[in-house]
Amino acid sequence: MANTKTDEKLQKIAKDLLESGEVNLIIGYTKGSNPQRMRPVFITKPEEVEKLSFSHNAVQDLAVFLKKQEVKKYGKIGITVKGCDEKAVNTLIQEYQLSRDNIKIIGMQCNGVIKQNLADKGETKVSETTVYDKCLVCQEHTPVLYDFLVETEEPELSLSGSVKPYAEIEKLEAMSTEEKNAYWAKEFDKCIKCYACRQACPLCFCSRCIVEKNMPQWIDTNSEEPGNAQWNMIRAYHLSGRCIGCGECERACPVNIPLMLINEKMARDVYNLFGYKSGLDINAKPVFGVFSESDFNDFIK
Amino acid sequence: MEEKYFEISSENLKKFVDGMITDNYEVIAPTDKDGDTFYGKISRFEEANLDILLPKMSYKEYLLPKTETIFEYSISGVDTDIKDGLQSIAGANEKRVIFGGRPCDAGAGPIMEKVFNWDYKDEFFNERFKNLTIISIACEKPDNYCFCTEMQLSPESSYGSDVLLKKSGDKYFAIVTGEKGLNLIKKYSDLFTETTKDKVPADKDWKKIFEIEKTKSFLDKNFEHNYFQERFLSCIGCGVCTYTCPTCHCFDIQDEGNLKEGRRIRNWDSCQFGIFTLHTSGHNPRVTQGDRYRQRLMHKFKIYSEKFDKYLCVGCGRCSRNCPEDIDIKEVAKNLAEMA
Repeated sequence: MANTKTDEKLQKIAKDLLESGEVNLIIGYTKGSNPQRMRPVFITKPEEVEKLSFSHNAVQDLAVFLKKQEVKKYGKIGITVKGCDEKAVNTLIQEYQLSRDNIKIIGMQCNGVIKQNLADKGETKVSETTVYDKCLVCQEHTPVLYDFLVETEEPELSLSGSVKPYAEIEKLEAMSTEEKNAYWAKEFDKCIKCYACRQACPLCFCSRCIVEKNMPQWIDTNSEEPGNAQWNMIRAYHLSGRCIGCGECERACPVNIPLMLINEKMARDVYNLFGYKSGLDINAKPVFGVFSESDFNDFIK
Repeated sequence: MEEKYFEISSENLKKFVDGMITDNYEVIAPTDKDGDTFYGKISRFEEANLDILLPKMSYKEYLLPKTETIFEYSISGVDTDIKDGLQSIAGANEKRVIFGGRPCDAGAGPIMEKVFNWDYKDEFFNERFKNLTIISIACEKPDNYCFCTEMQLSPESSYGSDVLLKKSGDKYFAIVTGEKGLNLIKKYSDLFTETTKDKVPADKDWKKIFEIEKTKSFLDKNFEHNYFQERFLSCIGCGVCTYTCPTCHCFDIQDEGNLKEGRRIRNWDSCQFGIFTLHTSGHNPRVTQGDRYRQRLMHKFKIYSEKFDKYLCVGCGRCSRNCPEDIDIKEVAKNLAEMA
């Protein structure tokens, strides 16, 4: 497939960054194993930038690689990010996992990425029925922070309003506690404890995860209920106020647990209770890292 | 037993499956749920999706459950009661039939059976394996991630299936490979008509795009090759490849419980996890994700075949289709073969 204008702009930026020595590594997308797939690529030489590409199939959140030791050793890194993924970069900076000085952000304007299971079946059109729910609620089609911006050639996503993103959340909110428990018990029963959700998450960066700690054994090791719920709930809590909604956990999940319902609900609650949205400001204090006298405390009885 | 051959009309195939369900068989088939297709229990023939190439997960869990109880204990005063997990699974799978899986998935059972009966006879695996009946359907259109032909099987291979169905117009030919399949078919003999081998359409000439022996010969000599570190920099170590794989069988034994009651279990595990090889000393012989993905390749395409004369891969392509970072094992195996 020929280079698009977007690809050319992206390649030029990457080439300049590598040639000037401003970065040692560019993390980007390249064409994948079928025409409807893209995959991560790691470029260290200016002559290799032609591999870089971007499209509505660039589903991965490349910020996940910034937590990897093998990648960290490159020091100064340039990264290609969509608006959603860029918020993960901001959160990593906010949480002292990454220095702003060591990262060059190549922001990609994006009007939505096609769900991978649909793309694999041949879907090529970006529309409200083919993109992820995160794209329907996206406020950051242009990343909030970038060093370089590559504008999109894709048409704007037109929303008729007939597709309701995360529609299940309202249904869940209307349920009784017993019904909610039954809903999640059924979902978590599928869990096989592969921890792909954790691995695919750019913000699950603990060098030793709580499930790997066994003195004491905080989380049951079995893949049954309630051990599965323990894992999924502890992960949800560890991500609340931090999750930027890239949806990689749900995309990676091999048994299709609707993890984004949890993440989105947590994000809505954090916004409603604390007026905070994660990943928008590298100078903001993490919401659960600060105490304010105006914080609500009526849960203390 | 020599192979036997039968014919069954599409209409009778439906009656056969519904008949088994009526007779209290648990029929596991590809079925649509949660936006994809998974193997699951069906309550009537129509719930089976026989058009799908492969369900997202394999049916490994019916041979090696994601969590298996080895034994349970309970302590009361000075009495300790121990319950052997094997007793509670006796006869498991006797009335369970996997229907509508593919030759690759069927091939996984006898390949895994070798390691479970090597130095130690794994009674849990054997109990489940000997009883599970597998009725597969030959593939007509493999996709680009499939490479069973390269892995010494084929889209029409009967290896590991008790019965292999081959579609021909509006009927199926049933190739019955052993007593287990024959006994099942006999119960519904009015639906099947016995035929001879020459009536069964010959297998197509499936082409290979690389030689797996060459992949192995590269692996034999290039443990330290840069390819592994470079190509698998994009691996995030999620383990989806191993968990969706029909032949990956590593497990982790854990004890859960307290002074009153508890159990010893074994859970699925993955060589893609950093902690998998972490020594108590803190040393880890597989430091990078490149080291870990190389291990997966070595185990599948070199070590297992040297020990058991079978590659530990059936070429189903699930690890490629399901990889969040689009690592395609067929492409990798082909690359290695080309570098050999």
